[in-house]
Amino acid sequence: MLEEACVFATILCGFFGIILKKNLVMKIISMDVMSTGVIAYYVLIASRKGLFTPIVSDVNNGTYADPVPQAVILTGIVIGFSIQCLMLVGVMKLAQDNPTLESNEIENNNTP
Amino acid sequence: MNIITISWIGLPFFVGFVIFLLPQLDKYLAMFAALASAVYAFQLFALPAPVKLELLNHFGVTLAVDQLSAYFILTNALVTVAVILYCWHSGKTAFFYAQTIIVHGSLNAAFASTDFISLYVALEVSGIAAFLLIAYPRTDRSIWVALRYLFVSNTAMLFYLVGAVLVYKASYSFSFAGLGKAPPEAVALIFVGLLVKGGIFVSGLWLPLTHSESETPVSALLSGIVVKAGVYPLVKCALMVEHIDPIVRVFGVGTALLGVFYAVFEKDAKRMLAFHTVSQLGFILAAPEVGGFYALTHGLVKSALFLIAGALPSRNFKELQQNPMSTPIWIALVMASFSISGFPMLSGFGAKVLTMKNLLPWQVIGMNLAALGTAISFAKFIFLPHKQEGQGSIKPGFWSAVILLIGGLLVANVVYYEAYNINNIAKPLATIAIGWLAYLLIFKRTVIKLPRLLEQFDHLIGMMSLMLILLFWMVFDISIN
Repeated sequence: MLEEACVFATILCGFFGIILKKNLVMKIISMDVMSTGVIAYYVLIASRKGLFTPIVSDVNNGTYADPVPQAVILTGIVIGFSIQCLMLVGVMKLAQDNPTLESNEIENNNTP
Repeated sequence: MNIITISWIGLPFFVGFVIFLLPQLDKYLAMFAALASAVYAFQLFALPAPVKLELLNHFGVTLAVDQLSAYFILTNALVTVAVILYCWHSGKTAFFYAQTIIVHGSLNAAFASTDFISLYVALEVSGIAAFLLIAYPRTDRSIWVALRYLFVSNTAMLFYLVGAVLVYKASYSFSFAGLGKAPPEAVALIFVGLLVKGGIFVSGLWLPLTHSESETPVSALLSGIVVKAGVYPLVKCALMVEHIDPIVRVFGVGTALLGVFYAVFEKDAKRMLAFHTVSQLGFILAAPEVGGFYALTHGLVKSALFLIAGALPSRNFKELQQNPMSTPIWIALVMASFSISGFPMLSGFGAKVLTMKNLLPWQVIGMNLAALGTAISFAKFIFLPHKQEGQGSIKPGFWSAVILLIGGLLVANVVYYEAYNINNIAKPLATIAIGWLAYLLIFKRTVIKLPRLLEQFDHLIGMMSLMLILLFWMVFDISIN
C-alpha cells in the first residue's frame, strides 16, 4: 500500500513537472521521473508473489518474482531512453537559437 | 500463412535497415516493401478465417489479423506507396525512405497485435519514426513541432503503460480481451493513451499544428495512416468488450462534431484538412463494426488531399480565391472533395452510407450534423477558381501518386456496391446541397478566428488529466449500471 502510494506520487510529480516547469530540459527530466515511476510500478507488480530472482537453479526457493512484467518493462525502459536521447538532440538544436530554452518563447516563435 | 504473416511483419524493418546499408537502392527497396504489404492485404481479404498466432508460448506475443485489420493494412500499403511515388524524383535522402518504411512496418505491427504491450511497442516505434520524418527539414519550426509531437505522445503512452499493468494485475495477461475484467481506472488510463495517439476529441488538438506544419508527403502519411494506429485498438476493444462499445461511440460523435466545428471556420487549407482528419476519425469510431472500410476510404482521400494541397499556389483560402490554380489540379481536388463529402460514384459515399446504417439511434443527429459540416468545409475547396494555365508547382511524382489514390477510391466502390439505390443516394446529395448553400450564404463571409489556446503545449499535457477524470467517470458509470 505504502509502496504503491510512493510510486503513484512519483508519477504525479513527474506529470506536474512537465506542466509546471518552464525550461524544456526540465520538462524532459520530469518526463524521465514520470517514466521512472511507471517502471517502478511494474517492478512492484512483479514482486507481489515473491522477491527471488526467477532463475531456475539448484537452490529451490519457490517464492520467485513474476518475470513477465519485468521483461515487458525492459522494453519500456529502452524505448523511454531512446526517446529521451532524440528529444535532447532536438533541444540541443533548438538551443542554438533560443539559449534560455523557455518553452513558451520557443512556442511563440515557432507557431504561425 | 503463419510464416507469411511473420515475414510480412518483419520485412519492412529488415528493408529499412538494409536501406541504410545500400543507400543507392533506397526508393526501390521501400517500394518493394510497401507493395509486399499490399499483396499481403489482398491475400487477407480472400481468407475465410482470421489468422491467429501465438508466438513462443502462453505469455508471449499474440497476433491476430482478420478482415478489419485487412482494411487498415491495405490503407497502410496504399498510402505508403503513394507517398514513395510522390517523393520519387524529389531528392529525398535514403534516411527519409528508411524512416518511411519503418513507420510502415510499425503500423503493420500495430494493426496485427492483440495485446497491449506489442501495441505499445508498435505505437512508440511509429512515434519515433514519425518524429524523425517531421523533423526532416531540420528547421527550428519543424524540430519544435516534431519535439512537441514526441513529447505529448510519450507522456500519453506512460499513462497507457500504467493502465496495461493494471490489466495484467487483474487477468494475468496483457491481451485486449482482459480489458473486460480490468478495473475502471485501467480502462481510463489505456484510453487516455489511445485517444491522444489517435487524435480523438480534445486530446487530439496536437494534430492540427503537427499535420499542417510538416512537409507535404509527411502530412499525407501522418493523416492518412499514422493516426489510425491509435484508432484501430479502440475499434478492436469496442468489438471485443461489450461495455466499452458505448464509450467508443460517444467519443466518435464528440470527435466528429469538434473537428468539423473547427474546420468550417478555418482559413488555412492544411489546418482545415488536419481538423478534418480529427473529425473523420470520429466516423470510424462511431460504428466500430464497419470502421475498416471507412478507414480505407479516409486514408486514400486524406493523403490525396494533402498531396494536392501541397501543389496549390498558397495555403490561405483568401489568396487561393485570387490566384487561380491549374485545371487538372482542380479536377483532382474536386474528385477528392466529392469523395469525402459523400458524393455517389466515389467510395466515400459507400463508406458514409455503411457507417450511417450501423449507428445507434442517439448518434444519428450528431453524425448527420458532422456530415453537413464536412460538406460545408469542402465547398471551400470546390468553389475555388481555376484556369487552364494556372499557378501552382507540381512535383514530378505528383500525378502518379494522386492517380493511384483517386483510382483506389473509384475501385473501392466494389466493397459496398449495395449502397447504390435511390434512398441511399438521396440523403447524401441533399446533405451536400444544403452544405454548399450554407457555405455560399453564410460561411464564405464569416471571419471568426477560433482561439488556439488549447493547442499550446502545456494545455495539451494538462488536458490529459482532464480526459483521465472524464474517462474514469464514464467507465465507472457504465460498470455500475
